[in-house]
Amino acid sequence: MLKQYPTLRYILQRGGWYFITFVVAVAINFYLPRLGSNNPVKIIMGNTSQGLSSEAVKEKEEKYLKEFGLVKVKNGNIVRNEDGSPVKASILEQFISYVGMCFKGDLGTSFQKYPKKVLDVIKEAVPWTIALQLPTILFGWIVGNVLGALAAYKRGIFDKVFFPISLLLSSLPFFVFGMLLVYQFAVVWDCFPAMGGYAGDLIPTFSWAFFSSAAYHYVLPFFSIFLIAAGGQAIGMRSMGIYELGTDYIKYAKWLGLKETRIIAYLFRNAMLPQLTGLALSLGTMIGGALITEMIFSYPGLGMAMLTAIQNNDYPMIQGCTLLITVCVLIANFTVDILIGFLDPRVKAGLQIGKGK
Amino acid sequence: MKQFLTLFKSPMFVIGFSLFVGTLLLALLGPLVFNITTERVGVQYAPPSGKYWFGCDDLGRDYVSLLIKGLQASLYVGFLAGIIATTLGTLLGIYGGFKGGLVDDIINMVTNLFIVIPSIVIIILISASFSEGRSLTLIAVIIGMTAWTWSARAVRAQSSALKSKDHISLAKMNGANTFAVITLHILPYLASYVFMVFILQVATGILTEAAISMIGLGPLDTVSLGTILNQAKNNGALSDGIWWAFLPATVIITMVVFALYLINTSAEGVFNPRLRK
Amino acid sequence: MNRNFKFKGLIAGALLCGLIGCGGGEKKESDAGSPFPRSKTLYLAGSQWGDPTTFNPMADVWASTWPVGKGAFNLVYEPLLSFNALDGKFEPCLGSLVSKSGDEIVIDINPEATWSDGQRVSAADVKFIFEIGRRFKDAPTAINAEYFTEIKVEKVQNNGVETERLTFVVEKKVRNNPLIILDHITQTRIVPSHIWEKALADNGNDLSAVQKIPVDGSAVVSGPYKTEAATNEKVVLKRRDDYWGNKALFGGKKPVPEFIIHPIFKSNDAFSIALQKGELDGSQTFIPRIWMKQKDGVKTWFDQAPYFLAGAVPIFVMNTTKAPTNDKNFRRAMAAAINYNDVKELAVSGYSPDIQPGLIMAGIGIEGKYFNADDAKQFGVSYDPERAKKILADAGYKSVYKADGTLDYMTDKKGTKLPTLFIKSPAGWSDWEAIVTIAVKGLRAAGIDAREGFVDASLYWPARGSGDFDILLTKPDNAVLPSTPWSRFFNVMTSSTWRPIGQNMNENYGRYNNPKSKEFNPMVEKLLKEIPTLSDPAKLSEAYRALNKIFMIEQPAIPLAYLPEQFYEFSETRWTGWPTAADPYAPPLLPWVGASTKILWQLQLAK
Repeated sequence: MLKQYPTLRYILQRGGWYFITFVVAVAINFYLPRLGSNNPVKIIMGNTSQGLSSEAVKEKEEKYLKEFGLVKVKNGNIVRNEDGSPVKASILEQFISYVGMCFKGDLGTSFQKYPKKVLDVIKEAVPWTIALQLPTILFGWIVGNVLGALAAYKRGIFDKVFFPISLLLSSLPFFVFGMLLVYQFAVVWDCFPAMGGYAGDLIPTFSWAFFSSAAYHYVLPFFSIFLIAAGGQAIGMRSMGIYELGTDYIKYAKWLGLKETRIIAYLFRNAMLPQLTGLALSLGTMIGGALITEMIFSYPGLGMAMLTAIQNNDYPMIQGCTLLITVCVLIANFTVDILIGFLDPRVKAGLQIGKGK
Repeated sequence: MKQFLTLFKSPMFVIGFSLFVGTLLLALLGPLVFNITTERVGVQYAPPSGKYWFGCDDLGRDYVSLLIKGLQASLYVGFLAGIIATTLGTLLGIYGGFKGGLVDDIINMVTNLFIVIPSIVIIILISASFSEGRSLTLIAVIIGMTAWTWSARAVRAQSSALKSKDHISLAKMNGANTFAVITLHILPYLASYVFMVFILQVATGILTEAAISMIGLGPLDTVSLGTILNQAKNNGALSDGIWWAFLPATVIITMVVFALYLINTSAEGVFNPRLRK
Repeated sequence: MNRNFKFKGLIAGALLCGLIGCGGGEKKESDAGSPFPRSKTLYLAGSQWGDPTTFNPMADVWASTWPVGKGAFNLVYEPLLSFNALDGKFEPCLGSLVSKSGDEIVIDINPEATWSDGQRVSAADVKFIFEIGRRFKDAPTAINAEYFTEIKVEKVQNNGVETERLTFVVEKKVRNNPLIILDHITQTRIVPSHIWEKALADNGNDLSAVQKIPVDGSAVVSGPYKTEAATNEKVVLKRRDDYWGNKALFGGKKPVPEFIIHPIFKSNDAFSIALQKGELDGSQTFIPRIWMKQKDGVKTWFDQAPYFLAGAVPIFVMNTTKAPTNDKNFRRAMAAAINYNDVKELAVSGYSPDIQPGLIMAGIGIEGKYFNADDAKQFGVSYDPERAKKILADAGYKSVYKADGTLDYMTDKKGTKLPTLFIKSPAGWSDWEAIVTIAVKGLRAAGIDAREGFVDASLYWPARGSGDFDILLTKPDNAVLPSTPWSRFFNVMTSSTWRPIGQNMNENYGRYNNPKSKEFNPMVEKLLKEIPTLSDPAKLSEAYRALNKIFMIEQPAIPLAYLPEQFYEFSETRWTGWPTAADPYAPPLLPWVGASTKILWQLQLAK
């Protein structure tokens, strides 16, 4: 029956593979942090057990182990070995209970930020990361591609000046660029704030004052990423554009005397396909990608939270963040696959041929 | 081979190539020309002078020595990561693109898995299990192992476009096995493309190493351009206007990456006739 | 061309957004429209690094947030007394000190002290938090209960006002340490027992459940401020106008700032930039070259080197269970090889005075009088590379060099090759990393094969407790307390809690003075047990002298610098009236802890 709907079958097939990838990714992200010998409870204890007697330290450790679900518990008591040490809960058990909790919408309680829930931390921080990344990536992509196509089409002086500049821009390490922006605009000229997502004396509310303050604080971080992203996209688009310009069908269209805007529309549509894949990748990894920018600008996003979680082996937090990244990357890739399926006639043709088999 | 020699006809390539060779020479021959020392030679953040061209860092060490050592380290990481990433990516990309079907889907899935796991997790995890901590080689290997996904995708696209070409079908009809087809027919076709991928991976490796060192996850026992920048940031050099702490390192990184990008773009122009003008 | 327009349009649009932001953004001069007006708010930073989690005063210390978390903050909940590190006096807070001796410590509860719900602060509240260790072994203040046998309560008449008098009876058999009791009295925050006893009863006497109860600004507190708001970027406190201490301790005056905001920054640079711009009023982070920021109004306790008042000593702890660091000659050679002047100048930006051998901080504060210059000259080692080489040679150690003149390895007197010694320290703390790098240079120049061993902070803490290191950089004390300098000696040399490598210890990480070994020196334990019980100044001097002499001869650890307990740096751009060396009305701490909270009543807006 499905054979009659090649498009549907295509979508389901790709979707199926992405689902398998998702499950495997979640399992790997669950397993990896537990591989090391870095016991998160030991890290917490090492930092804070000053002044306690050793028995109290041991009791506290076991209390945390039980609380975090890292040891086997029977009837509310810890199951012990012969020498009295607690029996570690098997990774499979932990995984099963974790999956169960996720379906109920509970991503667990962070070890490091105890007793804050992982979902609360993510809810508070993710909007800032997305606000920082999404517009920068999208604008950088659009502006960069437009400029690149322009350079490809016009060549001449514009290309000779524009091209080396954008190449140079994309060679700059973006974090140094951010630091330099902070120095020049925030310290020396003092016309933009140096840090924070919003003014120091505001609490996030739905008010004009808050949004305008957030916008004001947004300018420097935005430009530090945007300019370099645009530069990179422009280079790529320029190459694709020049390539497409040399193809037979464009030459033919020109000789036919088609309107220039029409030709450029064709040009764009075909040159954009590989760029779309790049966009999907950038969007997918945007959650973890703003880490350094957040550090430089003290932006309250998810990047720093994720870094400290990984450094302290805060399992639930790591799992929560990687789950988010996995979902984003896979959705982005899936969407692009489908889009390309619709936009690229070669794929469609491939499906039709398959139908004929 | 002849393809590669025609590269030198492009002025952009010559500029990029000479720039890159210049930095290579600086890294390799620098110690012979300059006196490389990591001892304290001046006061904290001594400004540039006739004796110490780029001044001193926060521990009174000469920046020229640190920059040269850092350049060596960054180039090493870039090359090692580039080689690993290109090899892995090319092999997987060609194989997946050529075979198609189930093999392609599986390789796609593996690629996606590597994208999904943040490299930070892998870095911290692996360096925690080595008692010597993070060395330059370890970081290069990890960067290589996480950056190959991009080249795999790119090569796969090229490879799957190629497989429908006539001479490939001819080879298949002649009964050549997959391995022979790949090495004898596809790889030479893609050689120039793989070269460009390699150049870009080296550039990415250098930039990624700098980024990782900025987070504080850089090598713990050596100097690299990234650790120089990280030190400058941690010591608040920026807010005190101590430009010699971070500008020279930035300029060097930018120059090296710029040279590599020039090589890449000019190579693109040469290998793809439609891009020549 | 439409492309051109599109391009120009986009650029123009971006610029426009920036300008709107510029114009519509906050102006620092006027307070209009802000919920926390700048002229009424004090910005302090450096104590809270992660997201705010909970303000529950019963929660574990590492889990709760400023101003309830780790540290003796007294803005929201208060202790009985405050310790002034400048003069060693106990200043009254919820209580006042009547008398102290080796047998008992007597404190009167201030009859005017009340909770925010109107109830008086009573002995029941004190007993609740101090004796909770007898009911719950894992409570954060459980350790308090081991140092006293009981708290006697009686009612006395003070100038006609009925007061509750508490007598802490020192536990004599095991601990016998009134100094630690005084530590606890100045650090433990008193909580309202009528609220928390009820919470325990409502939760089936389960402390873990009580610790999870969310607590906000409506909680019953006794301090001058209460929590107002918390996001992942800041914590906001609001002044309580019905604070009992305004009338009782400050003659009816209120603290000047109505709000205290603690911004949470993500990188070290942010603190110094914010101070320079006048957006931050006080910070306790390590900011190098702070003299370069004086022109922006950033000041410290002293207006020239060393800028800060010393209060804590970072040290190298050597693992005394394995060769060659089990040999005191080797350790003394190490101490002679490190260039402490470089450490002072390069690593800590000149913030330390010149150090002397021994564990007593010479010339600093209350403990300075225990320093004996003759002993130091006779028994201690200072930076002297030639002496280091001589000590090594005399003890039979040889340094083997490579062909190019660099150090390869060392051999001991039997000729066995010695492994490289790694100095373990957390990566990412720039001043600590610099100390280790400078020390390694000095050591290698003298022929000692040591290297930096930076590890991630998460690996450092467990390694420290279990003794998994060759040499470790650590700070035995973090604050100047009533028990200083005894606690520093205890932290470095005690054998009372001795455990072998692999099991956790909270002091004496280097496992010095193994009680089961032949070389066990019982004098150390004897002195450590004796000092807290002494009150005669002459006897104390003698005891410290003897202990310091043993330290200098045995060198179980190497002191590296005299750093402040907290970095006290502030900006006079917005608020003036801060204490300095010229006007030392409060100790050099930010106005959120101990005897420094009174600064809040003295601040004035800058003109």
